[in-house]
Amino acid sequence: MSDAWIYGERNSEETSRLLAELGFSPHRVAANGTLRPPDADSRAPALALVLAAGLEQPSCAELCARLAADEELGEVPVLVALGPGALAEGVGVSEGHELLVEPFTAEELQARIARARRAVHGIDHDDIVRVGDLEMNLATYQVAIDRRPVDFTYMEYELLKFLVTHPQRVFSREALLSRVWGYDYYGGARTVDVHVRRVRAKLGSEHAARIKTVRSVGYRWEGT
Amino acid sequence: MTGRQSLHTVRGVTGHREFVLRTVEERGVRFIRLWFIDVLGLLKSFSIPVSELETALEDGVGLDGSSLEGASRLREYDCIAHPDPRTFQVLPWKPDSLVARMFCDVCQPDGEPFGGDSRAMLRRVLEQAAGLGYTMQVGCEVEFFLFGALGANGASPVTLDDGAYFDLTPLDVGSDFRRRTIEYLERIGIPVKASHHEVAPSQHEIQLAHTDALSMADSVTTFRIAVKEAAHELGAYATFMPKPLAAYPGSGMHLHISLFQGERNVFHDADPGEPLSPTGRAFLAGVLAHAGELTAVTNQWINSYRRLATGFEAPEFVSWTRRGAAALVRVPSRRPGRVEGARFELRSPDPACNPYLVLALVLAAGLRGIERGYELQAESIDDEAAGAPRLPLDLREATDLFDASELARETLGDRLCDVFVANKRRELADERRTVTEFDRSRYLRLL
Repeated sequence: MSDAWIYGERNSEETSRLLAELGFSPHRVAANGTLRPPDADSRAPALALVLAAGLEQPSCAELCARLAADEELGEVPVLVALGPGALAEGVGVSEGHELLVEPFTAEELQARIARARRAVHGIDHDDIVRVGDLEMNLATYQVAIDRRPVDFTYMEYELLKFLVTHPQRVFSREALLSRVWGYDYYGGARTVDVHVRRVRAKLGSEHAARIKTVRSVGYRWEGT
Repeated sequence: MTGRQSLHTVRGVTGHREFVLRTVEERGVRFIRLWFIDVLGLLKSFSIPVSELETALEDGVGLDGSSLEGASRLREYDCIAHPDPRTFQVLPWKPDSLVARMFCDVCQPDGEPFGGDSRAMLRRVLEQAAGLGYTMQVGCEVEFFLFGALGANGASPVTLDDGAYFDLTPLDVGSDFRRRTIEYLERIGIPVKASHHEVAPSQHEIQLAHTDALSMADSVTTFRIAVKEAAHELGAYATFMPKPLAAYPGSGMHLHISLFQGERNVFHDADPGEPLSPTGRAFLAGVLAHAGELTAVTNQWINSYRRLATGFEAPEFVSWTRRGAAALVRVPSRRPGRVEGARFELRSPDPACNPYLVLALVLAAGLRGIERGYELQAESIDDEAAGAPRLPLDLREATDLFDASELARETLGDRLCDVFVANKRRELADERRTVTEFDRSRYLRLL
């Protein structure tokens, strides 16, 4: 289940419930200026939701800027939920990747989340990322090329998923190791090269070429 | 850190399990093969239906541990096989009813690794190396024969072609076979660097791209079955027997070894005149110093020594070289700027070895060389191995050296060593009682 982190106090319980209904695992971040909830088990959530009403220190704008600047949280889709009437004041309107105004329904939240994820990661509303005839279904862990299933191991899948959902950006081996594998892994940084080679072999020549080796830096996914 | 715990260091167990369960459901996998490795490196397998998968992932599956002990098993041991979800892979052959495999860690009922599990032993050595900041990378060139049919009961098998080294033989079944094999390997996540026809008729070589040692041992195991499957589908038979044809070179499995600290290849020396860094030289010195003790695992069958006896790129002496073809170890010349390419090539192993034990002992010997500052002997020039010790001549000598090896016992544990030695002594005793073609051709008329 994907994590969703909630910033801000106002209506956070109700929002947690809505997110849980949508299949997320909600975690509330304490209002003491930290960026990470105490009880999360992943390094980056699928989603961050900022409840802007009543946020003072840090402000909504500051918070969004810090999330964007954080090395691990930089590409987390951010939704900003404004309090009723806030639109007129214009505060927070330009922050985050997608906007909501309280009160909102589960359906509206779902649609906004889908828009934010699509904007950031290219993930369609049905949880499928499509690149040419390559389809990655993030809900079922299945990958298909030209509708034919391709069988990956879990780590190969996770690596491909990370690259595909962060297109056009170069990641070093260390960054991939820490963000895909998550912890120290005794395979060492060469593990990344080995997995890239395996993923390329399974993708076949057309899609394999989308994983670019950036000499003495790392790897980049060319999504278009 | 035990093997079970180290699973938690990679994204937690839950993600892996969910992936396995979901993939089985989505892909319509019918059976799961649980793979484990016996002391001789032979792949053992049992199947569970999908309905048992969740329980198997949670609690493991009961197993008689003596099934890991080859022909020398004496009594049953209750063990638990824990499938490693990281190794879950749908098998590319048998497309009509989908089958997936997972390698297992075999544990005692109290959760400790079972002393007869060579995969667990390799993992233990890798964790020790990781504790020192090292990871070993291994590339592999596997040779094998593809025969049209096996002769009845020991008669010579039928070769499929008269091709030779790097020949392109477009009309033979071999190139079809190599294409199919490589496709299987890639679909199962074993990247192939190159493949070509080898020196002997019907002999092939496939090079596996470098990876960490545990993945390479798993890859070699998977490779052997993928090759046999591909051959079987074409009505042929593939064998990794080290020396099937008396008149032609045998099959080797050259290992390309390098050692990394993080992203840095510690075998690399900035001076292009130096084949290896001081750390690399000490590691190699360790491997050479213990080469005799290692031979029982690099060349573990009576037949292995028929390959070593005939030259043909098979080493007889403990020596190293940059250019020659006969040394035990070759240090390939480096292309300028290719830091990651610094490595040495160990040429004694054959493809019928237990890759888990070979890699565990090679790494342990190399680390000992570093730890104790072993000095590397002089390079052998033009295949002159003057003064270099010779490798064991036969399995008996190799087994004696292994049996007495403090390095092997410390690395693999007494239990595994004893079981291995018992298997080899039994093989030797069987051979001693066998009347062979050699006996008859030499003595029948003469005496």
